[in-house]
Amino acid sequence: MAAELPVINGHGAQANGNGESATSFTVKAGLARMLQGGVIMDVVNAEQARIAEEAGAAAVMALERVPADIRAQGGVARMSDPRMIQEIMEAVTIPVMAKARIGHFVECQILEAVGVDYIDESEVLTPADDVHHVEKHPYKVPFVCGCRNLGEALRRISEGAAMIRTKGEAGTGDVVEAVKHMRTVTAEILKASTLSEPELRVMAKEIGAPYDLLKEAATLKRLPVVNFAAGGVATPADAALMMQLGCDGVFVGSGIFKSGNAAKRARAIVQAVTHFKDPKVLAEVSKDLGEAMVGLNVAKMDEGEKLAKRGW
Amino acid sequence: MTQDQFAITVGVLALQGAFSEHLQLLRQAATVKRLSALPDVKWTFIEVRTPEQLALCDGLIIPGGESTTMSLVAARSNLLEPLREFVKVHRKPVWGTCAGLILLAESANRTKKGGQELIGGLDVRVNRNHFGRQVESFEANLDLPFLRSEEREDFDTNRVPFKSVFIRAPVVEMILPAYEGVQVEEEAKDETVVAPSRKPDSEEAKKAIGAPVEVMATLPGRSAALPNKVATAHTEDKVGDIIAVRQANVFGTSFHPELTGDSRIHVWWLDQVRAAVGAI
Repeated sequence: MAAELPVINGHGAQANGNGESATSFTVKAGLARMLQGGVIMDVVNAEQARIAEEAGAAAVMALERVPADIRAQGGVARMSDPRMIQEIMEAVTIPVMAKARIGHFVECQILEAVGVDYIDESEVLTPADDVHHVEKHPYKVPFVCGCRNLGEALRRISEGAAMIRTKGEAGTGDVVEAVKHMRTVTAEILKASTLSEPELRVMAKEIGAPYDLLKEAATLKRLPVVNFAAGGVATPADAALMMQLGCDGVFVGSGIFKSGNAAKRARAIVQAVTHFKDPKVLAEVSKDLGEAMVGLNVAKMDEGEKLAKRGW
Repeated sequence: MTQDQFAITVGVLALQGAFSEHLQLLRQAATVKRLSALPDVKWTFIEVRTPEQLALCDGLIIPGGESTTMSLVAARSNLLEPLREFVKVHRKPVWGTCAGLILLAESANRTKKGGQELIGGLDVRVNRNHFGRQVESFEANLDLPFLRSEEREDFDTNRVPFKSVFIRAPVVEMILPAYEGVQVEEEAKDETVVAPSRKPDSEEAKKAIGAPVEVMATLPGRSAALPNKVATAHTEDKVGDIIAVRQANVFGTSFHPELTGDSRIHVWWLDQVRAAVGAI
C-alpha cells in the first residue's frame, strides 16, 4: 500500500520554486490533495461534464477529443477551444482541468486566463517542443504531468508540477502500461531508499533527476506530490488495481464515454476508487455494466503509435 | 472509571479527499501535551468508509475534498443516513473542513445543478467556492481566539499566527435561526439546498437543539478585495467572512488546517471530544 504523503510537502519540491511562483506550492499541491481518492473524467462537452459530476467525479478534464478519437483520427491534437472549456466550467461546480501541449507555454497562459483549475501538460496532445517542457513555477494555476518512471516524474516536479500521473497508454483501454509505469516508479523509489548518499548521487545522474527531489522521494518512500493513475483504465477493477498499487486517485479518459452505459460505468468506477480494498463492493459495482470500450492491445501496437513516448 | 472508558476512537470520513492528512495530524496531536486537565485517553484513529466503521467512532472528522463526490458516494455506500444519525440524533462530536463544512451545513447555495445531499447539524448557510476558482485559492495567517489557553502560550495565535490554506473554499454567509426542524425559509429559496431534520435521541442530545451558532473565527477584508465579487446575502464585509463556526457538537472550518503541519486545532478539538465523551 502507498506510503502517506506528509502534510507538508518536503522541502525539495518547494526549494526548486526559486521564489518566482505567484502562488505557493502548498496551495497548488493542496488542490491535488483534495482530489485524492477521486476520479477525474475526460469530457468533451457540458452534457458529458454533467454526467461525470452526477456520477461523483472529483474533477473533469475538458478536451475536444478523447484519446481514443485522437488516435483514430490522427492529425495534430491541440489545446481545446476556450469557449468549449468555459461552457464546461459553467455547467459544473467541480474543478475543471484542461490539456496543453508539451512545451506550449502560450497554450498554458491561455488556459490560465480562461481560469481552469489545473493544467495537464499532456503527451496525449501533439508536443509543441521536442526538447523543453513548460516552466511551471511562475503560473498561478497548478500543473499535472505524466511519467513513465521516477526520473521523468522528478523532472516534472522540478519544473513545477504539483501533481503527477502515470502516462499509461491513453485511448487504448489496456491498463498494462499504467501498471508498468506505476510499478517502475515504485521499484525505483524502493531502490533509492536503500542507497547511501554517494550512491544516490549516482542514481540521480543516471535517471536524470535532481538529487534533492530523489532524496526526498527516497526518504518519504513515495513521490513528494499526489500521484494518480492514467492511461488505459476502463473498468472498476482496473481503477481499484491502480489504487492497490499505491496510486492516490484515477484519471479515466476514453474508458467512460467510449463504453455502452457511460453514466453507470462512471458511477461504478467512482465507487471502486473509494472502496478499492473491498472486493465485495468491487464485485457488486462490476455487475451489468454493459460493453466496455473496445480497446487496443498495446502489445500489438507499433512503437511509433505510443503516446507515452512523448515527453523528455 | 474503568480502563475502557479512557479509550476513544475518532474516525476520518475516507470516501474521498484529504483524509490521510487529517489522520496524520490527529496522530501528531495525540502526542502533544493537552490543553486542560481532562483525563488522559488512549486514542484510536480510523478511516471510515462503511456504517460498521462509523459505529465504532466517538467523534468524526469530515475532510476537505469534493463535497458533491462525498455526498454521492456516501448515499451509494449507505452511509448518508448513518452520518445524519451520528451528527443530529446521537449528537457526537464532528468537525468538518471545507467540503466537510458544506456537508455539515443546514443550507448551502451554488451547489451543482439539481442540488446535493447535506448531512446538516450547523444552522448556517454556506456559499460554495466563495472566493472563486483555484487561481483565487490562497494562504492566510489567522487569529483563532478559541485556541487561546492559560496553560499554553504557544496556542495564542496573536503570538504565533495559524498559517492556513483556503482552496476553492466556502464561507458561512449567514447564521440561521436555530430551528428544531428543517430550515423552511431556506428551503423556499431557489438555488439553495437544505438538510433534512432528524430527532435527537437522548436528553443530552436534545439540549443541543436550539444551541446558538458561535462564530469562532473570521477573515477580514478578503471578499472585498475579490476581482469578481459574487453577490451573496452576506455583504457586510466589515466584520469579514465567517470561516469557523460551532454549534453544540458540530464544528466547521472553511480552511484546511490539515495542509499546514500545525496540529493546534486538532489538539483543541480532541479536547472537545474528550470532554464530550466524558460528559455522556
